[in-house]
Amino acid sequence: MSLAPQQALASPVENTVVGPGDSVLVLPEAGQVRVGAGLHADGGHLRTTRPGILRRTKAGKLWVQGRQIRYIPAAGDAVVGTVVERHSDAYNVDLGGPFAAVLPALAFEGATRRNRPNLTPGDLVYARVTAASRDADPEITCTDASGKGAGFGPLQEGLVLTCSSALVRQLLASPPPPVVAALGAALAFELAVGQNGRVWVGNADSSTVVLVANALANSERLSPGQAHLMVKKLLASVQA
Amino acid sequence: MEFVSPEGLRIDGRRPQELRALQCKFGVLSCCDGSALFQAGNTKVFAAVYGPRVADIRGQALHDRALIKCEYAHAAFSTGAARRRRGRSRKSTELAALVRGALEQTILVELLPRAQVEVCIQVLFADGGVTAACINAAMLAVADAGIPVRDMVAACGAGHLEAMPLLDLNHTEAATGGLEVCVALHPALDRVVLLQADAKASVDTLEAVTTLALQGCKAAAGAMREALLQHVRSLAARRGAI
Repeated sequence: MSLAPQQALASPVENTVVGPGDSVLVLPEAGQVRVGAGLHADGGHLRTTRPGILRRTKAGKLWVQGRQIRYIPAAGDAVVGTVVERHSDAYNVDLGGPFAAVLPALAFEGATRRNRPNLTPGDLVYARVTAASRDADPEITCTDASGKGAGFGPLQEGLVLTCSSALVRQLLASPPPPVVAALGAALAFELAVGQNGRVWVGNADSSTVVLVANALANSERLSPGQAHLMVKKLLASVQA
Repeated sequence: MEFVSPEGLRIDGRRPQELRALQCKFGVLSCCDGSALFQAGNTKVFAAVYGPRVADIRGQALHDRALIKCEYAHAAFSTGAARRRRGRSRKSTELAALVRGALEQTILVELLPRAQVEVCIQVLFADGGVTAACINAAMLAVADAGIPVRDMVAACGAGHLEAMPLLDLNHTEAATGGLEVCVALHPALDRVVLLQADAKASVDTLEAVTTLALQGCKAAAGAMREALLQHVRSLAARRGAI
């Protein structure tokens, strides 16, 4: 049961399971290494900071795909948040992370000083993180970079599901995961997947919303076959 | 009382330099952001991690790093002796401070300014080596929560009985009141995070016992890491990610 000394690697081995503190790469003297979440440089080594699978994006960025429940804001993420406080020129929005985000009152499509959405604490918004600096609260907006709505905005009715980052990644995958495909073939519903681990399910019919939310919540640890079977069973129980 | 038999076996059948069987389980509680169960022989400790989240008390939040809070409790049935009083005691405050100290050096606190990470530890069965088990359980829960850490911290105790260093004392061995040392280590960085001893000892004894405890830490770290990777692998395999 002795711990083998960490092997110093010239190039990282992708798609392997790594634990916190593992050295994945000896940093080169010169050149660039693109590093994403879950890695940090320490004493000439690139070390992992959390358990997960080491991945490399198409752009060559290394990161660790892990599973967590708390959300750490990152610029560009699409998130589902709850308005918690209302100020004259901004809202405070809870994203389920360590800090509440700031949503400027005019950060909606076509909003002006006279004509702007009137949100109250408890309302839901689907938004995009524009700034996530270490020293300030994150900022979110309900428009895309060109000022269009692009699907962002207040969410009416529906139900919010809290889930792990692993499930969010599955739901956002392309093609969609088997559970979403199976549900979508049988039911009509709307889905807003926030990368902060909040998933909004919308539909006029509340029984459909509950069914979809339960199916999604239970799908994280199911294989494609099991997911199909679960959706089939749920649908049968509702239609019976 | 004889603690090491002429055949070289201890009262629970181990060799002097042998750890008890370690067992780690992850995600055992659903109410928190990360949880783990750590078991070393009969000693059994639960840890739950909440956070990183907004600091409960705004005045306590630190502008440049995360605030680590640690709470320790043991079940009324965890020790043989009847529990004298409820709530916090000096012992539980000290244990919580030791675990917090180890975690503050392990978690990358500077990445999460103004946030708070809370670790709650519950001892279900105390059969010696409780400090080490608490640190190990807390580390596993922090890893389960995905909180960024420098390295995995692993802790292990060792003692000195019958002129012989013994690894990982159980309750009967620890109750003799001899020297017992608890060491916590960052194995990949090769850095000692915690060194604690409750009795007077000569330098030679302390060195022998500490060296043994360090070896125990490395073995415990190996076992913990293997269990953690196994857990990650099984989660990934179930969703077809690997």
